[in-house]
Amino acid sequence: MNIIFREKDIPNIREFDVYVKHDGYKAFEKALRMKPIDVINEVKASNLRGRGGAGFPTGVKWSFIPQSEPIKYVVVNADESETGTFKDRQIMENNPHQLIEGALIAAWAIQATAVYIYLRGEFWDIAHALDKHIEDARQAGYVGENIKGSGWSCEVYTHLGAGAYICGEESALLNSLEGKLGQPRVRPPFPAQKGGGLYSEPTVVNNVETLANVPFIIMNGADEYKKIGTEQSTGTKIFCVSGHVNNPGNFEFPMGEITFRQLIFDHAGGIPDGKQIKAILPSGGSGPIVPATDEILDTPLTYEDLQKHGTILGSASIIILDETVDITWAASKMTKFFKHESCGKCTPCREGTYWLDKVLDRILRGEGKPSDVDLINNIAANMQGVTLCALGDFAANPILATIKHFPNDFMAHVGGELKAAGD
Amino acid sequence: MSDKVKIIIDDIEYEVPAGSNLVDMAKWYADNDIPVFCYHPKMEPVGMCRMCLVEQGSIVKDRETGEVVLDENGNPQVRWFPKLQTACTQIVHDGMVIRTNTEAVKAARENVVEFLLTSHPLDCPICDKGGECPLQNLTMAHGPGTSRMNYDDKMHLDKHVPLGDLIFLDEERCIQCARCIRFQDEIVGDDVLAFHERGRKLQIITNSDPGFDTYFSGNTTDICPVGALTTADFRFGARPWELTEVPSICPHDAAGSNISLSVRLDRDFGGRAMIKRVMPRQNEYVNEIWISDKTRFGHHFTRSEDRLKKPMIKKGGVLTEATWDEAIRFVVDALKAADGSVAAIAGSSTPNEDLWTLRKLVEGLGGGLLGAWTPTHAGADLVAQVGVGKGTNLGDLGQGDAVLIIATDLEEEVPIWRLRLKQAADRGAYLVVANARKTRMDDFASDTVRYDYGQAAHAMQNLDAAIAKKLKEANNLIIVAGAEGLTLDGSRALMQAAANFLIESGHIGKPNNGLLSPFPGANGMGLHYMGFSPEATLQIMQNPPKLLIVNQAELLADDPFAAEWLNKVETIISLNLFPDAVSNMAAAALPIQSFAERDGTFTNGERRVQRFYMAQGPMGEALPAWQVFSQLSEALGQGHAKLSAAAVMKEITENVEAFAGMRYKELARVERQFPDVGGEDLYYGGTAYQNKGGLGVQIETSADKGEAVSVGEVKLPDSPKPKKGQVLVVPVAQLFNRQSTFKPSVLVHPRVPQPYVEINSKDAARMNIKTGDLVEVMMADQIRVTVQAHVNGGAPEGAAVLPRYLTDEATPMVLTVGEIKKV
Repeated sequence: MNIIFREKDIPNIREFDVYVKHDGYKAFEKALRMKPIDVINEVKASNLRGRGGAGFPTGVKWSFIPQSEPIKYVVVNADESETGTFKDRQIMENNPHQLIEGALIAAWAIQATAVYIYLRGEFWDIAHALDKHIEDARQAGYVGENIKGSGWSCEVYTHLGAGAYICGEESALLNSLEGKLGQPRVRPPFPAQKGGGLYSEPTVVNNVETLANVPFIIMNGADEYKKIGTEQSTGTKIFCVSGHVNNPGNFEFPMGEITFRQLIFDHAGGIPDGKQIKAILPSGGSGPIVPATDEILDTPLTYEDLQKHGTILGSASIIILDETVDITWAASKMTKFFKHESCGKCTPCREGTYWLDKVLDRILRGEGKPSDVDLINNIAANMQGVTLCALGDFAANPILATIKHFPNDFMAHVGGELKAAGD
Repeated sequence: MSDKVKIIIDDIEYEVPAGSNLVDMAKWYADNDIPVFCYHPKMEPVGMCRMCLVEQGSIVKDRETGEVVLDENGNPQVRWFPKLQTACTQIVHDGMVIRTNTEAVKAARENVVEFLLTSHPLDCPICDKGGECPLQNLTMAHGPGTSRMNYDDKMHLDKHVPLGDLIFLDEERCIQCARCIRFQDEIVGDDVLAFHERGRKLQIITNSDPGFDTYFSGNTTDICPVGALTTADFRFGARPWELTEVPSICPHDAAGSNISLSVRLDRDFGGRAMIKRVMPRQNEYVNEIWISDKTRFGHHFTRSEDRLKKPMIKKGGVLTEATWDEAIRFVVDALKAADGSVAAIAGSSTPNEDLWTLRKLVEGLGGGLLGAWTPTHAGADLVAQVGVGKGTNLGDLGQGDAVLIIATDLEEEVPIWRLRLKQAADRGAYLVVANARKTRMDDFASDTVRYDYGQAAHAMQNLDAAIAKKLKEANNLIIVAGAEGLTLDGSRALMQAAANFLIESGHIGKPNNGLLSPFPGANGMGLHYMGFSPEATLQIMQNPPKLLIVNQAELLADDPFAAEWLNKVETIISLNLFPDAVSNMAAAALPIQSFAERDGTFTNGERRVQRFYMAQGPMGEALPAWQVFSQLSEALGQGHAKLSAAAVMKEITENVEAFAGMRYKELARVERQFPDVGGEDLYYGGTAYQNKGGLGVQIETSADKGEAVSVGEVKLPDSPKPKKGQVLVVPVAQLFNRQSTFKPSVLVHPRVPQPYVEINSKDAARMNIKTGDLVEVMMADQIRVTVQAHVNGGAPEGAAVLPRYLTDEATPMVLTVGEIKKV
């Protein structure tokens, strides 16, 4: 079932005419006939959760916006910077109007004066294409002054970042959008509050995939949407599968409909060269790694089911590691990523990522001691829960979870005692 | 701030002002030093160092009834946050509960210190900050005893990065707290520092050319919580524990910034006490904890080898070294010979004690004119009547208040006022800046007013109706009126017009209301109270006396026309720090001590009388000027000489009404100041010093006392009119210049501009002059200087702006008609 990837059913839906021919912008027109609060309530009722990783209920987020403020913004987070995530790109390349329509509905719902689509710098070609699509929508009267005679005006802009993972974090993104250094802000005030959003105005920040779900909800109603997925994880989710699989790519499924095993073996073509699957990173480098046990493999892909196993669905950037992977090496690779991407604002993250990397390098060089494993475990633990944004926690995950699930991979490097499997 | 809320810190309840910061309140009310690195009580919190983590919760209240929910023991139930919270980002609220002494908090602090030290070089033994370093202190208090970081894993970075000519960055020591960046951005408004890169590579850079281009850079070294930022002046100069702190007052401008002179017995000064650095001393009324770079780096003149070190008297037409006894006898004879035709001119940084004893000497000889130098700024008498009310604190101005700045470039004249008034505008005060040209303050103004040079008083009387209305209706209004582009008459007219405006709108006689003026020097108001006036100076110039005493006033360096009338004076007695053109003409040139070598007081522009203390060993045989005058008086049979500055002040209190109650003991009084910066608590506010020398006492205005005020009739003077092909040449202030009291600060030389004149682009086009061209500026048909042209719109059409004290030659003190020619 493709709610988002409609290009699979409708060729060239990226073109405005084709999109409109297939009911494009009807949801937006319907929304314009609704009261903004009813739009919010409909999205609330759908239980749509943010697809960027945190899974926060979208309608609730919109309802935080103080209606009394004259200037409000919608910011589309198209930074797509989580490791192993490549879904938003496909949406924006192949079904861009659905994003624009979703963003406009959100803008109407909170009565925003403008929509900013913040794209990572590498997406410059997508930004150019989006500009054209926005212009098409404008020509048809969906963007600009007095949209469709509603008396409400809204502009849509694209903006390119300069290449920082942290700018996918909403408050750092807002700083970057304002032309400032991409570092997270102190909250409260939250983006939805006066003083916390873009240029200090109340702002909704939503992921691309999240907003692409909105037209369906408005068009068909929350009840219809809730029929898809599970109670806590409504709708479809795009799973970005990469790593050791024969057929990597994006797969859209209703949440809960399939398990890891089905996704990896039935749809992503299984593991190359007949190798065994060893571990799964369900949410790129930022979510805790899990061993590919039968129990994990048979877990349905929902927010709630993954949480039961001590990990997160996150943005569902699923990276598969086969038996040839040394998890210590993987931990080191992930740590190098976070060290490179830490913005440097908070002490534990800035210093911790640097320190972890140094110790992991030592371990991989064969110069580590068993106590070094305890050391990195402790450094990582000290980074958790004490930073302004979640990057501090994310950066600790690759260490804490790898040591927890794969202690032997570490012990093999430091000459420590091997532990019995399953410990 | 009057609303109070109840918060609980470590099980004890405190009542604190609503809306205030938790770290500040914990310190002020509970004496609980929540450790911080990035937080600073003068700046917005950023919550980035994570040192201030505490357990935080709220007392649970029933949603319906609002009653406090109790637990089984009958204690209020507390809902705790699941994670530790940064105290610095918390605004106190009723029912807030925090714990700062739990295991979780201790562990968090230890962890943050450990993280910070992983990349820190730990080079305390050679670090200037060692001994007064927040990182060192908080490590001792909260850190782990040992390091788990391999030394070889430390990141190595550049240790001597000049951010500008005055400040060096040690990249290894920096802990990325951003205090320096935020200070420049939030407090100063010169956002010349920034972070570069990210993660562990995050580094402070300067993005201005020249680097760190601001007049306030030194303050960043005080608030830097590590030894990352050091001054070119002090680095590797001494260890903090070798230094003795002597309270003092900045001798350079009307702000009267409270400073601390860090001295030690030094090899470089013959084993005598020597100033190693100048530090801010907290006075929330005056300069808070900030000082300008001129205040900080402008102390070298006190030890200049060019200082006059021995008394000189004319023997056979030649100035010859003499003993003090000889010199005193010589001067006494000269004074007697003058037959009562005696007058005195005192420079604007002459301390009150010197002014008083000089006045007594002149009065003892039958009286004579007492001139204030430079005779450029009128209206000190008006400031005494309707100046800012007693208790004024520029730091209190904000929403609902207003400030008008007219005919002055505060950035160049009184940088601390500029800093504080900029912040008043940030807090919501309505700031109007009026001048004939754009000045730095325009950048912070709500409205700007332009008038033609010479027309300031007229502009003051004819303000745009909407602007005038807003000023009049403000809760509090301060007018800062200078003398840029004005003659002395014009200055008086402006001061009168400003006083009238304040009187008419009722903004006098109460704190945060009234008149201010950026008088040159440190004691412009003191000159007035001691009876010296610029009007008397003009009379002296017109009618030179037989004998003229010139104290700390470089008449010929300041005024190219002075030679004309000085030549008519038979006998000049010169007292100065340096031999200058006046002392060369003098019958006696007597060496006097600078502010650093003696006790004394200055009266600042806000009429605050403030003490400075003896800090440095004397230069040669120099004496404090009050002592010289006092001895001369005694030799003339006018009574016993005073033995101490304190005794002179006692006499002043008995004779000058404004100074009643200003005994040294009173001036030395201190009180606890908020925020509680200074002292041992370096982690909180930086290395600004606690005020142990006195907050000074502000003189009441006539309006404060409810006395009648008299402004006098405003006479709008004619201003010089240039003819075709001529321009008005307007002298303006330049903070970094080549005056004798600043030139010896060699380290600032790269920042002192080459002599230049600003010319309007239209005038420049007409004269075919481009930026960088050498031009000759001819003034009043006789004064010529050759300077570089700056064509940048800084000057209005028809005017050429010539900064003072950049050229070697003296240039006119007030505006003149002149011509400009390309060389």
